[in-house]
Amino acid sequence: MADDTKALAQGLKRRDPGLLDQLIEQYQYRLFRYLLYLTSSRERAEDFFQETWIRVLERGHQYDGKYKFESWLFRIARNLVIDWQRSKKMLSLDALIDPEEGAPMEFAAKNQPSPLHLVLSAEEKSGIHASLDRVPGVYREVLVLRFQEELGLEEIAGVLAAPLSTVKSRLYRGLEALRGAMHGGAA
Amino acid sequence: MIDNLHARAEKLISQERVEGISQAEGDWLAEHLRQCESCSQIAKQTHEALRAFRGAAIALPRGLAERTRFRVQLRAQELREREPKRSLLWVICAISWALGIATAPYVWQAIQWIGERTGAPRLVLEFGFGLWWAIPALFAAAIVILENVRQANERDWSGR
Repeated sequence: MADDTKALAQGLKRRDPGLLDQLIEQYQYRLFRYLLYLTSSRERAEDFFQETWIRVLERGHQYDGKYKFESWLFRIARNLVIDWQRSKKMLSLDALIDPEEGAPMEFAAKNQPSPLHLVLSAEEKSGIHASLDRVPGVYREVLVLRFQEELGLEEIAGVLAAPLSTVKSRLYRGLEALRGAMHGGAA
Repeated sequence: MIDNLHARAEKLISQERVEGISQAEGDWLAEHLRQCESCSQIAKQTHEALRAFRGAAIALPRGLAERTRFRVQLRAQELREREPKRSLLWVICAISWALGIATAPYVWQAIQWIGERTGAPRLVLEFGFGLWWAIPALFAAAIVILENVRQANERDWSGR
């Protein structure tokens, strides 16, 4: 893996167009899914998806190959979303560490479907999507990284720029919230 | 005591998924789940919730990769056009050095003439003549350093 990531780092430093095309193809689903869960908006996820790859092109020389490429990619995507949220004077994801501190960003008024619910319902009429919008965004993010992206705890900590203890705490709470949401309990 | 057992079982059910548990803990949990209906139910719910979560699919917007590639290619072209013209810089330096060699006798005569007029020591005159040769290289080095400083000041997106 180390050789692969080193070769990747060199290709990114050279701004190898063939490599970028290949990476866009390879990571399109995973990156879009992550952004969709993060932003709760299909249009925004699409914008951030394109912006993320432009950042990869521009800042490719900063990837040193010591870590998995996808961790770096998700980190870039996350930073873009946070910058956008800050510029819009919205709550940052970091402010959502503890949902009790404020209203989670994408949740609609009671008895109305949330934006995420609307987005995901359009994707698939299944119980899981209906349940996911009851899981706070900050927990949903770590759940995606851990159980869909299958990143290690240290890698998630790298993506979030958060201590390992925070990642674990969010995962435990997220798992509880997901179980509760799926089985009719309070998230 | 019994509550503690259930709390431990519930903690291990989550821990197993989040950071893993030891063989001994796994054995204890398996035994507990065989005997405890409510904890077994929690384990089943956790398993089902994660299975559904992992299986949740989304549809990609049509043509997303193609649109992105197009934007990335445009940006790459812009960047190439804006890249520092290093080769041009070195060509200019080479021309400058060639002219320096060609004009060296005249420059030295001029410096000697200034030396005679001002009474400056020979060491100063030689240093001035050396500087005349070094100017293109110093200029090129200054450009390269400024460019590196600019790149270093860009936000580090690796965040490590």
